[in-house]
Amino acid sequence: MTAQFRAELLKLRSTRTNLGLFSALLGFVLFVVLLHGFSLPVEHISRRSDQLHVVFGWAALLGSLFAALLGALAITDEFRHGTIRPTFLVTPQRGRVVVAKVWASMLIGSVFGLIAAAVAIGVGSAALATRGLEIRLGGGDYALLLVGCAAAAALWAAIGVGLGAVVRNQVPTVVGICAWLLFIESLLLGDVGLVGDVGRFTPGALGKAASGQDPLLAPGLAVFLLALYTAAAVAAGWVATTRRDVV
Amino acid sequence: MQVAHENLNIFACTDSLWDTANEHWSPQMHQDNRPQHTLPRHVRMRVTGAAATATEPPLPDPVVRVSSLTKRYGEFAVVEDVTFSLDPGTVTGFLGPNGAGKSTTLRLLLGLAEPTAGEARVFGRRYRELDEPARRVGAVLESNDFDPGRSGRNHLRALALAAEISPGRVEEMLELVGLTRAADRRVRTYSLGMRQRLGLAGALLGAPELLVLDEPANGLDPAGVHWLRTFLRQFADQGGTVLIASHVLAEVAQTVDQVMIIDHGRLVATARLDELAGRGETLEETYLKLTVKEAS
Repeated sequence: MTAQFRAELLKLRSTRTNLGLFSALLGFVLFVVLLHGFSLPVEHISRRSDQLHVVFGWAALLGSLFAALLGALAITDEFRHGTIRPTFLVTPQRGRVVVAKVWASMLIGSVFGLIAAAVAIGVGSAALATRGLEIRLGGGDYALLLVGCAAAAALWAAIGVGLGAVVRNQVPTVVGICAWLLFIESLLLGDVGLVGDVGRFTPGALGKAASGQDPLLAPGLAVFLLALYTAAAVAAGWVATTRRDVV
Repeated sequence: MQVAHENLNIFACTDSLWDTANEHWSPQMHQDNRPQHTLPRHVRMRVTGAAATATEPPLPDPVVRVSSLTKRYGEFAVVEDVTFSLDPGTVTGFLGPNGAGKSTTLRLLLGLAEPTAGEARVFGRRYRELDEPARRVGAVLESNDFDPGRSGRNHLRALALAAEISPGRVEEMLELVGLTRAADRRVRTYSLGMRQRLGLAGALLGAPELLVLDEPANGLDPAGVHWLRTFLRQFADQGGTVLIASHVLAEVAQTVDQVMIIDHGRLVATARLDELAGRGETLEETYLKLTVKEAS
């Protein structure tokens, strides 16, 4: 198991794909946080909950999104390029490969979330300070933001591996993850609120709640509920990978 | 089996068999003449129908035993009732037209696909049940199973990590196939021949006793084909077993001891090359007779 984990970690580090994902994550965090920090009217970003939600909180969504893509690529790249064959020839116990990919992706994914939060805090604070606004977040808020974003991104990385293992095809997996987090969940379930309170318990919203962005849902509970989604996705990926043929 | 394994140390030589300076094969450097673990020829070949006499040593267990192997997708049988076994020390050609079921048979043998019926065993077990499969079996199923953005060295290192094989072995294999100088380049920049050699290096990482290769000569230049043939012969002479799927008859005819011909998912012939020669038939004549008749 350790052997497979080390192999998967090397795979994640040895192409430029994940460096590219990481750069894109940083770029998006910078852009979105600066955009909101500088462009929103003062009355929208003066309260603590607003600052947390519309300035700093973007790190949770973006960290989760890019961590999920990292996890999805970790497995769909193998099917796309055929490396899944040598991988399974060396480790025919395919469940071990899936689990190793999950842990390796969670590790790198948590770094994605952590750094996204750190950048958002740094850049967001600078933006608010530049506009002469008082920053109402305290040390506990920052700590929760860092830990919550890291946890959400790690769990989403594992969801990405599970989904990728089920779908196998890279493009639909990536499009599906982006569509879910950026469109379906944010617009239809969250902002538009088509299905009432359900939006609070969707996996993307739970990722945000993990860093304290939902006043009605404790961060610990949010992490626990998100972990249930993760367990389901990983279990589905495990079953799909061990049962289906590789051609 | 372990005896044979330990004797397969030709890979441990650090002298390159390839001219790494210009990425060309240099077969004249192939001068490793250490004592070989060579089984008598009659032991290495399981002669069908011939009764073993009491004075002969018992035949070793087959390395590969495939029984009534069948794979269907819906109603369509890709592989149907295929039975064969491979003995240690043999090089076997697995021939057939495109789509005949060669690749599917190899995938069933190596646990990548599950048979609909029948079974395939390597070293007496299903592939997925082998303890350290990379140390028993090396396989190249496609010539391009690499991430184009990963270097050749990192490709091998990832496999070595998963199989718990030392990094030193990775360097030895890179040297063996002449890719040391190209090892840090991304595979994207490799020629087809270089990819074939990288695939072979990956298959040999664990010093396996059985090699399963699908079209291994594809993309190799003539010197490379010669090197591969010499290498496989030596591998088998030291007790290793080789199964090569191919449709290039001329190449196979010079490399293998025996052939199996598959067509429309069924094994239509199994013959030793010297038997064919004894009947005055060339491999091509036999192949065409069997596969064209089946097709018409």
